[in-house]
Amino acid sequence: MTAPLEWYLVLSAGVFCAGLFGVLVRQSALHFVMAVELMLNAANINLVAFSLEHGNLTGQVFALFGIALAAAEVAIGIGIILVLNRNFDDIDVTEAVTMRW
Amino acid sequence: MVDVFNVVEAIALVPLVSFLLVLALGNRMPKKGALSGIAATGFSLAISLLVVLDLATGGEVYHEELFTFVAGDGAGVELSFGLLVDPLAALMLTIVSLISFLVHIFSLGYMNDEGEIGLRRYYASLSLFTFSMLAFVYSDNLLMAFMFFELVGLCSFLLIGFWFREAGPPSAAKKAFLVTRFGDYFFLVGVVAVFATFGTTAFAGDHSFIVEATHVLEPDATGEMNTFLGLGEQAWITVVGLLVLGGVMGKSAQFPLHTWLPDAMEGPTPVSALIHAATMVAAGVYLVMRMYGFYALSPTALGVIALVGGFTAFFAATMALVKQELKQVLAYSTVSQYGYMMLALGGGGYVGAVFHLTTHAIFKALLFLGAGAVIIAMHHNENMWDMGGLKSRMPVTYWTFLFGSLALAGIFPFAGFWSKDEVLFETLQHALSGEPLLLVGYAFGLLAVVMTAFYTFRMVYLTFHGEPRTDTAASPEPIGWSMKFPLVVLGALSVVGGVLNMGVLKDFIGSENLFLKKWLEGKTISGELGPLSAEEYHHILESDFAAGYEVTELSPLGPGALALVLGLVGLGAAVALYRAPEPTPHMTKLGRIRTLLMNNYYLDEFQVWLATGVTAPLARAANKFDQSGIDGVVNGAGSVSMFTGERFRRIQTGIVTNYAALLSLGLVLLLLVFGFLGGWF
Repeated sequence: MTAPLEWYLVLSAGVFCAGLFGVLVRQSALHFVMAVELMLNAANINLVAFSLEHGNLTGQVFALFGIALAAAEVAIGIGIILVLNRNFDDIDVTEAVTMRW
Repeated sequence: MVDVFNVVEAIALVPLVSFLLVLALGNRMPKKGALSGIAATGFSLAISLLVVLDLATGGEVYHEELFTFVAGDGAGVELSFGLLVDPLAALMLTIVSLISFLVHIFSLGYMNDEGEIGLRRYYASLSLFTFSMLAFVYSDNLLMAFMFFELVGLCSFLLIGFWFREAGPPSAAKKAFLVTRFGDYFFLVGVVAVFATFGTTAFAGDHSFIVEATHVLEPDATGEMNTFLGLGEQAWITVVGLLVLGGVMGKSAQFPLHTWLPDAMEGPTPVSALIHAATMVAAGVYLVMRMYGFYALSPTALGVIALVGGFTAFFAATMALVKQELKQVLAYSTVSQYGYMMLALGGGGYVGAVFHLTTHAIFKALLFLGAGAVIIAMHHNENMWDMGGLKSRMPVTYWTFLFGSLALAGIFPFAGFWSKDEVLFETLQHALSGEPLLLVGYAFGLLAVVMTAFYTFRMVYLTFHGEPRTDTAASPEPIGWSMKFPLVVLGALSVVGGVLNMGVLKDFIGSENLFLKKWLEGKTISGELGPLSAEEYHHILESDFAAGYEVTELSPLGPGALALVLGLVGLGAAVALYRAPEPTPHMTKLGRIRTLLMNNYYLDEFQVWLATGVTAPLARAANKFDQSGIDGVVNGAGSVSMFTGERFRRIQTGIVTNYAALLSLGLVLLLLVFGFLGGWF
């Protein structure tokens, strides 16, 4: 017996909200990256859930792409964090405010 | 014999070559370019005389398009350059080149011998002046005429302001330029109007705008024209004619645009002679003659011309009565005499006007050159009250000047008598058959005859008769042959010039001996002069669809005698008042009238007031509106953007969390909007 689709969607929405919460309240750039990962994975859960529901593989293929994208994003994110650390001696995103009016 | 029309372009081009030559090499040329100018104008004179000879012995009218700058391709407008040498143009070419030739010779004495500097500029401008006027004279269309009309204006600006280091000449030059420009503005609008109306500006040919206009108005109308402003065809022709007349009034110094001309006396005297006799001022009147067939279509335009002319003749003569400077008297007499020509043109006296233009060119050039000789003799003192007794000391100048004065005063048998009489007679002839405007003009003309004779002989007596009133007048500087030669030539012509058209004696000598009339009617050429002949002009004038003038048959003897008697009255009065060895300044007895006349009716002040009291405040108000109104709106839009931008940029905090929040909020908002619009809830 399989779980109904709504459960997957509730899980996905929960994970996404957790990610969004992280993006909005965290100050550390590392937490930021993690939060973004959560949001991406929420999307992946959705894709796989629908793929299972409809019985074709398109969603799963997309999810693979999403995972690859997430990996790439982490690579870039870590790079940005390193530069941030080098310039501001910190990875607090609320400190780096020179790019403003 | 070589066909003279093959070289007709050279009449104007040779002075142009001389201009370029003098401009480039003037300082290294003998006499600083005078000789090149004399040679060029002499050449033009010779060719012009050959052309006249050719036309007088059965030649054909030369009309040729040389160059087209915008081809009409059958529709729309066509702009071209072309030459038209008909009897009128040939006569004018001869006058212009003759006067210019003599003025160049006279300048040898007036400028070179006096050790003036800047002679290269002088002779270059003089050549350019001659070129522009000659080209203007044989232009075959209105646009080309306009271009050279403007060039003539420019040259007079350059020459009037020749002594630009002094205070007076630059300001006089500027005034001449601006006042004539004011008139030319209307002329330019007129040229455009002619284009828009007829699609062509040609003076001659089967499809000239004059012929087209005639065909439109004829009872069995075959022509085509566009009218504007909802006016009728004849009304629109009147409007166009009056617009062009604006340029004429500026150039020919007709009231109220005459104020530049007396100031133009600041230029060298030979230049004054050239401007007044043959070039600048003559250009305006010549333009009316050139398109006379067009003016003949509109009784209103003719009435305006006659009235303006008659009034100017009278008005300028009153001011000449009290002037103390020799050249000022002559300047006002020029304005007055051109008024006569306008009167004649308005009064249907085409032949009379051309005749007066011819004789006036001769005797006015003579008088100015004579005045130039006196001014040299007097070491540039022009006040007549400092002269006196020059008669015995400069006999050549005296006798030629006297002949010119007799011609100007219209005394039998000098040239001016015949032409002035023709002017008055032809006007009267048309006036008596119910044209009150012409009668008013004629009355002004008669009054001016008395005054002309009076101020002319006041001038002669004050200058040449009586006892010398200063040491300079007692021992004047002698003048050379280069000044005497032009005087003698012009003096002789002033005596005999009337032979051209002795209209007063028409009943005795027979109308076949009125040479100028025959000449302008195209009787001497082979072929037909067609719409350019004086006969055709008179035919149009007397047609009901056009001016509708009627001729009252009169013997010319009566009006002729009247004008002569009036002239003699004026002359006699001047002689009686100023004959004394030490003449008293009678004009001071006029008191306040004299002050008014000396100040030229305060017209200059009035025009300055118009500029500073009306135009300048208006311009300031417009500027204020522009600065605060128009610019205010633009600046206001800018300030609002600046202000809101200043406030809104505060949301760019630089904190990435805020951006993320805004993004999320935006997404939520978008979803809500889509939700409401899509009916999800």
